[in-house]
Order: sequence, then C-alpha cells, then structure tokens
Amino acid sequence: MSEQWEPRIVAFFCTWCTYTAADLAGISRMTYAPNGRIIRVMCSGRMDPQFVLKALADGADGVLIGGCHPGDCHYQAGNYKALRRYTLLKRVLTEMGIEPERVRLEWISASEGDRVQKVMNEMAEQIRKLGPLQLERPLPQPLPETERGAVPLPVAGRGLRG
Amino acid sequence: MPEPTTNGAPKIGVYVCHCGVNIAAKVNVSEVVEFAKTLPFVTVAREYKFMCSDPGQELIQQDLREGKINRVVVASCSPLMHEATFRRATAEGGQNPFFFHMANIREHVSWVTADGHKATEKAKALIAAAVRRVAFHEPLEKKRVPVHPHVLIVGGGIAGIEAALKIADAGKKVYLVEREPTIGGHMAQFDKCFPTLDCAACILTPKMTQVRSHPNIELLTYSEVESVEPYDLRNFKVRIRRKACYVNEDTCTGCGLCAEVCPVSVPSEFDEGLAMRKAIYRPFPQAVPNVFTISRRGTPPCQAACSIHQNAQGYITLIAHGKFKEALDVILRDNPLPSICGRICTHPCTVNCTRGTVDDPLNIPGLKRFVTDLFPDYKLPQPKVNRSEKIAIVGSGPAGLMCAYELRQRGYWPVIYEAQPVPGGMLSVGIPAFRLPRDVISKEINRLKEIGIEIKTNTPVGKAVTLEELRKQYAAVFIGIGAHVERRLNVPGEDLPNVWGGIEFLRKVNLEGPFKLGERVLVIGGGNSAVDAARTALRCGAKEVTIVYRRTRAEMPADPKEIEAAEEEGIKMLFLAAPKTILGNKDTGVTALECLKMKLGAPDASGRPAPEPIPGSEFVLSCDAIIATIGQVPDLKSLGDKLGLETTKWGTFKVDEVTLETNIPGVFAGGDCVTGPDVVVNAMYAGKKAAISIDRYINKLDMRAGREREGPYRTEYAIDTSGVAMQKQIPMPAIALERRRTFDEVHTGYTQEQAIAEAKRCLDCAICCDCRLCSTVCEAKAINYEMKDHIQEIVVGSIILATGFKPFDARRIPRYGYGKYPNVYTALEIERMTNSAGPTGGEIRLRDGRKPKAVGIIHCVGSRDRNYNSYCSRVCCLYSLKLAHLIKERTGAEVYNFYIDMRVPGKAYEEFYDRMLEEGIHFIRGRVAEVTDHAMTPDEEGKLVIRAEDTLIGVIRRIPVDMVVLAVGLEPQADADEVRRKFYISCGTGGFFLERHPKLAPVQTFADGIFIAGACQGPKDIQDTVAQAGAAAAEVLSLIDRGFVELEPNTAFIREELCSGCKTCIPLCPFSAISFNSDKGIAVINEALCKGCGTCVAACPSGAAQQHLFTDEQIYQEIEGVLSYV
Repeated sequence: MSEQWEPRIVAFFCTWCTYTAADLAGISRMTYAPNGRIIRVMCSGRMDPQFVLKALADGADGVLIGGCHPGDCHYQAGNYKALRRYTLLKRVLTEMGIEPERVRLEWISASEGDRVQKVMNEMAEQIRKLGPLQLERPLPQPLPETERGAVPLPVAGRGLRG
Repeated sequence: MPEPTTNGAPKIGVYVCHCGVNIAAKVNVSEVVEFAKTLPFVTVAREYKFMCSDPGQELIQQDLREGKINRVVVASCSPLMHEATFRRATAEGGQNPFFFHMANIREHVSWVTADGHKATEKAKALIAAAVRRVAFHEPLEKKRVPVHPHVLIVGGGIAGIEAALKIADAGKKVYLVEREPTIGGHMAQFDKCFPTLDCAACILTPKMTQVRSHPNIELLTYSEVESVEPYDLRNFKVRIRRKACYVNEDTCTGCGLCAEVCPVSVPSEFDEGLAMRKAIYRPFPQAVPNVFTISRRGTPPCQAACSIHQNAQGYITLIAHGKFKEALDVILRDNPLPSICGRICTHPCTVNCTRGTVDDPLNIPGLKRFVTDLFPDYKLPQPKVNRSEKIAIVGSGPAGLMCAYELRQRGYWPVIYEAQPVPGGMLSVGIPAFRLPRDVISKEINRLKEIGIEIKTNTPVGKAVTLEELRKQYAAVFIGIGAHVERRLNVPGEDLPNVWGGIEFLRKVNLEGPFKLGERVLVIGGGNSAVDAARTALRCGAKEVTIVYRRTRAEMPADPKEIEAAEEEGIKMLFLAAPKTILGNKDTGVTALECLKMKLGAPDASGRPAPEPIPGSEFVLSCDAIIATIGQVPDLKSLGDKLGLETTKWGTFKVDEVTLETNIPGVFAGGDCVTGPDVVVNAMYAGKKAAISIDRYINKLDMRAGREREGPYRTEYAIDTSGVAMQKQIPMPAIALERRRTFDEVHTGYTQEQAIAEAKRCLDCAICCDCRLCSTVCEAKAINYEMKDHIQEIVVGSIILATGFKPFDARRIPRYGYGKYPNVYTALEIERMTNSAGPTGGEIRLRDGRKPKAVGIIHCVGSRDRNYNSYCSRVCCLYSLKLAHLIKERTGAEVYNFYIDMRVPGKAYEEFYDRMLEEGIHFIRGRVAEVTDHAMTPDEEGKLVIRAEDTLIGVIRRIPVDMVVLAVGLEPQADADEVRRKFYISCGTGGFFLERHPKLAPVQTFADGIFIAGACQGPKDIQDTVAQAGAAAAEVLSLIDRGFVELEPNTAFIREELCSGCKTCIPLCPFSAISFNSDKGIAVINEALCKGCGTCVAACPSGAAQQHLFTDEQIYQEIEGVLSYV
C-alpha cells in the first residue's frame, strides 16, 4: 500500500444504462473521483457475487454495481436478479466482517451522466471514510501459459481464506 | 482468415490513442505505452494521434500481418463508439475480430479526471485489465438473423405519416398505429405554418389521404400498442389493441347524420375545448379515416347502481333536448313499470349520481315520472317472438309483474295468480294512494295485460289451486308472494282493540277506504311503512300522529324525503323510545302506551348503534290508537306447499343466489319472500333475474354462465367537475300543505321547463348516453353498440416511434391566469381560432365576441424555466411570430411579444422575424411576472394587465391588453415513460425518448430495430420532424434491404462436463432459452433465443454456464488487471 492511500473501487456497469451514462458523463466532461475502475458487463444480472468477493480479495476497497432502473432492464428483469443477489451478498459480507457499505448497487439510466459523477464521488468519499479494506493480500496470480491454459481457481477460496 | 485455433500463444499489441488532445492532454500517453510494454504477453505497444483513422488502423493490421502480434488492445474512446472499427481492423489484419479488446481511456478517464497523474494511473489500470482479458479471448462468429420486412410506425402525426409513406413507397408493408380516431396529429390543428405562412391543412391532408389509400399501409386508428415481445432474436411480435369505436369502419360513409341527432355534447379535443362535439363524432371534416367514433366510457354510475340497470343518463339526456318520446322509449327498454318507479323507487341511482359531488344529485325518478306523465297512454313494447310455454307466477307484486314482463318479452305466456282482489301486491295494498295513485297502478297493470299477461285475482295459491298443480301444468313456476305478515311487538296489550299492524292498517285503507282511527295515533317503527302509516292515519282524520322510534332520526331506515314530508304535514317524532306495555282494556280499547327511554350503544349486526333501554325511565303516552309497523315476514305457510321447498331460519325461501332456483327444479322464487322486506326495484330485479333463469331452464342452457353483471354495482369516472356551475336540484312541485289531508297525490310532477332544466344538470358521465338515436338514422347500418376492443397481433422487423408531444399545461403557472381569466388563451387555442374551419370560423374574438384591440403574447411558458422545463421548446418564438402576424392581420390589434431571447435560427426564420418587426409588432424583452385584472389607472379598467420588466430599458412595464396568448412549450406525452418501457428504449433529460447518439445516431435507439422520429425525441418544428421521419425511414429501408443483422456473439453456453443439472438457471431466463435435457441430465441453452444478458451465468453454482465475450475467466482477469499493476 502506498503512503498516500487512495481508495480502489471496481465498478461493474451494465452496458445499456450505466456504462452509457458513464460515457455521457465523459462526453459532458463531468469530472469525478478517479478511484473507480469500470468493467463493462452486458447486464447487472451478469453480476456474480463472486466478482465482488474476488475484487475485494484482490485489493479493492469497494465495489460499485450499476444497472438500469427497475422496469427498464434491457433483458426485462436482470436488474431485479442483481438486487436479489446484492441484498444477500451484503449479509454475507457482514458475516465475513466486511462493512457492507463497501458495496453499493445503483440504478443509473443512460441519460444520467450527472448521476455517475455523483455516485462515483460519493463512493470514493464513503470508502475514504471506511479506510482500506484490511484483508490479507493474495499472492499475485500466475498468468496462464496460453490463452486456453490454466483455468483460475474458484475465487472464494483465494483471497478470503485465512 | 487463419484457423482460430492456430492462434497460438498470445502476442498482444497495445495501441494507445491520443485522440488529438482529447486523451493526450490529460493522460501521459508515452508513460502508458512504456507501462504497457511491461505487461505479460505484450509484444508491441504503440501510440498514435488518431487510432481510428486509416493510418491508425493500418498500424494494427501491419503488426498482425507481420506476425508481431495475434491479439489487439486499443486504448482510446468508448467501445460503444469504435469497437466495431477496431474489430474490423483486426479481422483485416488476418485474425478473428474477437481477439480484440478496448480500454476506454477517453470517456472514462481523460474527460472525467481532473488530475493528469491520476488519469495516467487509471488509464494504465484499464489497459492492464484489457491485456489480461484479451489473453483469454476466443475466436467467435457473428450470427446473422433475418430482418422481417414489415414495419410498425406508432403515431400518425406528420412524422408517422411521412415515414409511413416513404417506406410504403419503397414497396414495404407498413402498419401505422394511431390512438386517436384520425391521423394528422397536432399539425392538423394548425392554421398556418411558419415561416412561409402556407396553410397546414393544404399540405397535410393530401398526405393523410395518401396514407389511407396506399396499398402498402395498413392504417390502424383508434388503436394502441398493447405489448411488444421478441418474436425471435431480432424481430418483434406486437399486440395492438383495436379500441371499440362502435362504428363499422368499412360501412360508415361519414355522412354525419348520426352526429346531427346525437343529444350528447362534450368539448371538442380537436378544437381545444373552444367548441363542442357530439358523443358520436369525427374530430374534423377531413379526418382520415373518414368515419365516426362513439365516445363511450361504459355504464354510468346511475345505471350501474340501479338493480335493473335502467339507463338513466339516456333518458335524462333526451329530456334535456326535449326528445320526450325518445326518452320514453329508452325508459321502456329496461322497465315496464316506469310510472310506478318514477314515484316510489328508492332511487339508488341518485345516491351514486356524480352531480351529487358538486351540489345535488339529479332527481332521476322525478324525470322519469315526468316522461310517463307526459304520455299517459303509452304502450309497452310488443314481444317480437311467441312461444308455446306457459309459466305460472304466484303473486302480482313488482317481482311477479317484472318476471311476467320479461318472460312475455321472451315469448312465453305468463299467468299470474294473485290472492288479493286487486293485483299489484304491496304496491296496491301497502303503499298509500297519496304517494302512488291507484289509477297509475291499474294503468301499468293494464299495459302488461295488453301484451298478453294473464292475471287471476282472488286466486290464492294453496286454496284455489295448489303449487303442485302449477308445477305440473306450467313449464316453470315463479313464486313472488312478498312479505305481508306483520311482525309482532311482543309487548303486553298487543291484542287490544285499535292496535293495528302497519300493513294491516294500510291494506284496510287501500282496499276499503279511509276509516276513523281516533284523535291521537301512535305509530311504532322507523321504516317507510311506518311513515306511510303515519301519513295515512293523518288522512284518516287523526288530529295528532306521533312516530315512536327506538333509535334516532339518523338511523331511521325510511327515505329522508318521506320523513321530511311527514314532518311538513305535522307528524311528530319521538326518538329513543320503545314500547313496553300497551295500556287499556277490551272495552275502551287502547288508552295509552307505556314507553321506555333508550340510549344508543355499540353498533349491532346492521352497523347501526343498538338501542339500549335505560332502566327506570318509563313514561306513558296517552293515545286512541296504535299502529305497530316494525317489519313484515313472508307468509310461506299460506302456499300449503307439498313440493318440499326449502326455507331459511328467517322464514324465507332458500334459493340459489345466482339463478333464484329453489331446491325443486323449475320452481324459482324472488323478491321479499326471499330477501325479507325490501324496496320495489330490488323485487323487480329478482323478477328479471328469475325470468332469465327460467328462459335458460326451459331451453336447457347453463343458468349460471355470464351473470356477473346482473344487479347493482359501482362505477366511477374521473369527471372534471371543476368548471361546473352550482345549481341545486329543482324541487318537485307539490300540492299545498292544507290539501294534504286527502288521498290526492302529494307531488304533482315537473313541468316541461322544470324537467328540461333539471335534466340539463346531468354531467354526461359515460359521454355516450346509449340512447341509440344514431342507429335509427344510420342508413349504412354501421353502428354496432356491441363492438368490443380486440387485439390484433403482428410481426415486424422494425419499429418507428413517432408519438409526438403534448403542449405544456398552462394551468401549472397560476400567475399567468390561464383558467382564471377567460381571455387568457394558449397558443393552440388561438391556432384553432385562426383556422377558418375552427370554432369561430377564423375570427379572432374574445370570449364575449368582441374584437381584441391589444394582444399580448407571452413566450417561454413552461420552457427555459427551472421550475417547469429547463429546455427551450424551439418552436415557440416562431409560432408566436406567426400568431402575432395573423392576429394583427385579422383584427388590426396592437400585438406585444414578451420574450427572453428571440430564438429564430433556421432557414428563412430570421427573415420572418425581420418582417414581423417591420409589420409593427412590439417586442418587449423580459419575462412576464404576472397577468392581472387589477387596474391601477383608468386605461387599465376592464383590461388584462401584463406586468414585466423591460430589461432593455430597465423599467417595470404594465401593458393593458384585451387578450393574452401563452406560448406554451412542448412536453413529452403524458405516457411517454410507459411507452418507452414497452419498446425497451430510454428517456433522456426532460422525458423525451433517448437517441443512440445525439449527433451521429439521432433516430436510432439503444434497442436494435427501434427508431424514433419527430417531437417524441425532443421539441422540433415540422421541417425537422419531416427530415427526421425521412432519416428513420431510410434506416428502416436499409435494414430491410440488407435483409439481416449480425448479432453480437455474446450468448450463453453450457460446459456440459461441469453441469450438475441443478436447473437453477432455467427459471431465471426471461426469454425461456434454457431447457433441461433429461437424457443427459444437463441444462441446454437455445442459442437462437438467448439474448446474452448473462443472468444464468451469474447464477450457475458450478460455473458450467458461461457467456461468450464475458466468461468468468475474462471478467476475473479484468478484475485482477485493474487491481494488480497500479
């Protein structure tokens, strides 16, 4: 960890609403905290809770999930599935001793660039308040020999063990 | 293209784009490149000014061709922008295009990060993620899916019309759906178009007729899209609700005779409420299609509340128009005893009358009585069929009479057995003549006899004839013997002389005439019969009549109007008193009544507070006679039934609630002998219900099917009563109080003028009053009242939404006085006024008909205002100029424009503005503070004063004008949000539909195959709307001509060896793409149905379900990438 600690946030954004909104924030030149790293998924329904655990295990201090507003899902109900898993995941995190506030689910539509800005800033602030996530750092994973080589180990066992 | 499997060990090229200065000004590109070189598998890392340019792409292709790399990462803008470009470059370099990944360092980094160092670090993280991810990419093939050549266009305004014609002219099939009865949209309402001032109708209507006659366009007006579902991977199955217009579109000739006779007028939507239209209407003469539509909301509250569903709104509307004969026909449609009901019905209709929420409900029975009084010799309709079966009916009360009538109308021959010497049951023996004259009853009964109903009086069933005989001789039997046996008080002295039962007393007076009871009469009870008995006792010569009731006035079950009438006649009321003992002896008869005071306790089973005696509170009332009227029960024993009819513990017949059939098949019962004492209309309802059952019984049909809507129910309509002027119910004339000692009818009925005035108070809740006059004049026989909404299902490959806008509601800004001052208008209202086919024939007039001498036009109403809409509505400046010109031209008035900025960009628009300046129109720069009628100088008297700051000279001005025009802005349609959800698209700021890209894809949306055109995308004028419609049409045509689309190969798949067959994924799929293969015991994904959301992948506990382009490994690598290196 560097001397000047900065929150690391992984953001999973659905391509139809929140990712597009983040693009809009960019087009509109809305500056916000640089701590968020956006990973694009097709739908917030693709959000495997393991992605969140993996990110936290690999050094993220917070995770943000962005999906379409209820009723707006491009795939009808993926965001509801995400909400379902998110609610459960928060309980699991609490059990693990991780502050559930480190993970946040937000509905941001494609036209809400300003909301991306607001949420990213809020999230950075929130994590700054909580401080770094004190987990044992996992060993750097060896990269595969070929693209079809090693299948990474199941995640839950990696960072959270011990 | 080389074999994808021979791709070999990853050799990754990273290309970092400067995007001019867009990225390079913030991100230290060289540092990023140096960093990229350190990443595993990266063999080449380069930077270039514009990677998307041809030389930029060539860099990639060359490295690929030279074998330096076999996978590509481009760090530049958003993949939503250029992913396709670089995939193509990768493919042209000889690799599978999916050996590519993009890092978004412009939209997500350089444009949103203030600090250059942090931006550089963030860019590195994203590139590291992309590098790690792309190493796991696999070769994929894009799938081609055919595009269905049919097109759906939603909205028949100028945008929809234009797009439909363009596409249809190219030979493609178009469905044009419009929810109003005509196409044309807002443009059809306009008079002139800016800046050319050409006539809107002249340029629009030819296009409208072209749509109608075009062989490739199927026009579906008065229809709405119900749902849009995926038909396959790319095409849509659309369900369209064709709303019932009650006029056959194919046969209606548009002659308009129906509208001439229609009695219902409502404000015309097309004329912005400045003129009226009929309930059967065509919005305007050039409407396409040129057919009429009936506005029908369904059953009005009055009719729904009536047990026999008498169409009250129908006859009331006809009375209001002086069509009394027609009103009678409507009355007789549902009711064979209208002159009786018009007098004594307890009128549940008035209880639910919407007018009652404003001032008073209508006197609905009074109006019915007026019509029947006007035609004393009317006839009942003759049955249209005749059958052979005879039906026995026991009892000639309202239940029996109604049953007989309904059966006769169905062709049967009813025979009524009546024990009393006169027919009519309780109507004749229980209701006094001053409320219901005997000749009214006899006339009604004679009318029934005239249509073939036989009535045998003095023929008590059980004595003269037995029930068993009736059952054998007749096809069916209906028992409606009412409830005529008095309930007893159960107090000592009840059998003394001059103690009467209420019905016993009334029967005697009704059959034998009045007789002397005594000076002081006490009536015990609080129902209608008690009040009737009291008022009859008065007419029998009693000096003092007192009603003794154990609860209070509020709990009295009698009709409040009857109680009032009794009080007017001098009848006293004694509340909270119950009889304890009747005093007297056999010789003197009754001399007094000992009562007990009561108090009100907790509510009982009826919901009313139960009276509780106060011990020791006895008091004595002296009297000469007592009439105990505390209710009646049926006399079932009198029938001498040997059939074995089941009864209840309340001494009534046990019947099936739906069919009214007793336990003996073919024997039905209804009215008071089933329900206990109830009102006339409910007895008639029972008779009608039984008749329907008997008809089905005889025809061996299902007696229960489809009978949910029989009997009273509630309907409510949101009626805007805000503008309704208060006008109380017109009191029904009555004979003088001093004459109310005889059996003359108390109420004399409305005069013609009164009836019309009362009828005019009706609020037309259901709009169409169902009088059916229109069908009598329609020569084409096009009117079909039974028409129902139906669903049309179509399959299309492309959809254009052209649903337009709605004008800003000026009422939302109260300080401009719209709705308060009559001479404040919206622009659209003036638009209609200036139209020569409009409500004033093209004259611009104030509400009182005067020509305005000065007119103020207020710009930006609801636009450029943070309190309402912050956007500019774009068209208001120009249309204000147009209206200013038209107003000045037609009236010579001084016209003042109050503007914030004049926004007149566009071809020939500035010139138009110049011309208006030259025409002498005044322009005042400043937002208007308020419109007021408060005069401060004599000049301002009687004027509307517009107060505004003139910001050019820096003073507050007060401009007195006669007319104010509000240039209201454009808003999304009220249901825009609902519509965009239906079509899987998004709304942007302000609620307008969101385009895919504001500049480069203005008519595309994020949903493939769905396009937008016109004002639904944002405020725009006709010019731009037409241009956009053309663009949308071009998009659609290019899709259809290409014939297929390529789908992103991001579908889910199952790794069979990992699937445990747990079926978790199956119910999660919204597209039902997953099924279970029971042979293999694994889940199977139908790739043709999978849309690629990945929800199933996230849920798979074993990792068997995966998604191409978004496998678990790829996302894990991305996570590690963004976190591991920086």
